[in-house]
Amino acid sequence: MLNTLTQAFSLITTWEVIIAMLAASVYGLVIGSLPGLSATMATALLVPVTFYLSPIAAIATIVAASTMAIFAGDIPGALLRIPGTPASAAYADEAYAMTRKGEAELALGAGVWFSAVGGIAGTLSLMILAPPLAEIALSFSTFEYFWLAFLGLMCATLVARSSPVKAIASMFIGLLVACIGIENPGGVPRFTFGMTNLFGGIEPIPALVGVFAVAQVMRAMLTPEPPPIPRRKFGSILAGQWKLTKKYNWQMTRGNIIGIIIGVLPGAGADMAAWVSYAMSKRFSKEPEKFGTGHVEGLVEAGASNNASIASGWVPSLLFGIPGDTIAAIAIGVLYMKGLNPGPTLFTEKASSMYAIYLMFIIANIIMIPLGIVMIRLASHVLRAPRSTVMPVIMLCCAVGSFAIGNNIFGVVIVATFGVIGYVMEENGYPVAAMVLGIVMGTMIEQSFVTSLIKSDGSVLPFFERPIAAILAAMAIGALIWPVLVWVWRKFRREPIVATSAR
Amino acid sequence: MRLPDRVTGLFLVGLGAAAAYGGWQLPPVPGQPVGPNVFPLVIGTGLALCGLAITFGIGRSFEEEEHLIPVEGGQPPPPTNKLYGLRALLPPALLLLYVAIAERLGFILTAAMIVYVTSTALGARWKIALPLALLAPIGIHLIFSKLLRVPLPPGVLPMPW
Repeated sequence: MLNTLTQAFSLITTWEVIIAMLAASVYGLVIGSLPGLSATMATALLVPVTFYLSPIAAIATIVAASTMAIFAGDIPGALLRIPGTPASAAYADEAYAMTRKGEAELALGAGVWFSAVGGIAGTLSLMILAPPLAEIALSFSTFEYFWLAFLGLMCATLVARSSPVKAIASMFIGLLVACIGIENPGGVPRFTFGMTNLFGGIEPIPALVGVFAVAQVMRAMLTPEPPPIPRRKFGSILAGQWKLTKKYNWQMTRGNIIGIIIGVLPGAGADMAAWVSYAMSKRFSKEPEKFGTGHVEGLVEAGASNNASIASGWVPSLLFGIPGDTIAAIAIGVLYMKGLNPGPTLFTEKASSMYAIYLMFIIANIIMIPLGIVMIRLASHVLRAPRSTVMPVIMLCCAVGSFAIGNNIFGVVIVATFGVIGYVMEENGYPVAAMVLGIVMGTMIEQSFVTSLIKSDGSVLPFFERPIAAILAAMAIGALIWPVLVWVWRKFRREPIVATSAR
Repeated sequence: MRLPDRVTGLFLVGLGAAAAYGGWQLPPVPGQPVGPNVFPLVIGTGLALCGLAITFGIGRSFEEEEHLIPVEGGQPPPPTNKLYGLRALLPPALLLLYVAIAERLGFILTAAMIVYVTSTALGARWKIALPLALLAPIGIHLIFSKLLRVPLPPGVLPMPW
């Protein structure tokens, strides 16, 4: 244990890792604070760069950039009422109300302080949860893996803030995309339409870049430019945060726990965590009437929650290769590329690398406090960069980055195609996160499904016979029929359906 | 690009049916009960069923209206004629253009064109768009070609490094 810890330390104290981490932090802060550029997009555009780094440095960039971007989204939320990333959307109104009351420092300080606390809580959950789960997972056979993957896909559809039917359809589209290529049980070209470029299948990373980056540029073409941030001087950012920590200790803890749980659930990430925590905070607050008028309580809880979900999203990713959120989906791609294939054995064979990941998460959350304060002070300058100068550079990064992944120009075609697919789906209420999960998990779920069927000679009974498989199956089927039950219940009650105003 | 649910639903029914049929046509692995055909069959059927449900509006009641935050200060709403919506297709079109001509024209020139067009389309004056189109490709080229050794096409205007 101590030995692996010192090994982990020596892994991350190389110049390459330190520089990569600092650069990625600054990058994450800038991208996260620019409205319209999400944390997922920041991570996706980083992948081509990680190719040329050592495994630990590659993971360091992803950890640092995603952590910073989620916090940085709070900055324009508080100053402009425009969330920098979807994860800050839940409380952008509240934070802006505080700014108008002259409490911008308190709102932004709460953002950076409780984000750091949440991030560290999430990391602790990763450290505590992952190894014992890995022990259990070692005894899993393909049946359990199938149900686990199935359950993961169902979770992704359940938590989508959209119609569950559309979410399931999105997931199927993703699985269909994963069918393309010759990597299937028969080794025959499937859905390749005679194109040699499709033989290797659709790489998840260019598809993700398309869905999250190109689609965003497309959206920018049709939406008006956000106003520039007004210049202002800030007082002390961290003043009063300790007092808040003591006053809202319970809220903070609850935010951390909710964030961790939502992070672990496949497909649900930081934005979901923030919405749920903000709603919880309001529901259980002693002074709910103050919410919406610039009350810091919800910020504390939701700010802690969305950063906690980032680290805990790595639990299912590292253990099973099932992404906890879209950022983790990208991270899985990078892990595979770097020979750190997700699986329970990662924790026994590559324990020092795992400890290095924990350490990097903790370091990223600690350096977020000083870097975040600098970013807040510089925000009025950085956020003056007009969209018309940022988006073209992003376009270039999409083109070059997707080419760099396989030195194949076909990658650019994939990016463009998935840009259109992602844009059209999002416009019509089909959640793209569910599709992304389908693409990432498709091969795994097919393999475990077909291998299980071959083992059982085509019978479905063994899928339910092993004890853990049976439990997982029950949960998965429950998740599948849950929306149906709710739908029937609503029909039965004949309630007028009101758009939930609880948020 | 907001289409009625009926249209997207029927499209998914078609896509699912095609996938299921395509999967059905695949040759089975001799001596094995399941092969590469099973998974597409299951997925295709599922997708077609979802498409049907969407066509008939099942599950609509779960959809939440998008939580739009109005921008303060009030910018004029964008003009809403039909061609305006097509602007969204500009980014993917430019990327496909890159695929088509980058090899011959070289990275720098193609990239400069992409930057200039995107920037102008987003409302930048030429005073901003032109310097950006000159500098951004060189910067990206430096990072990716020099630092990360990605073989970007030199074309007619190779860089001195």
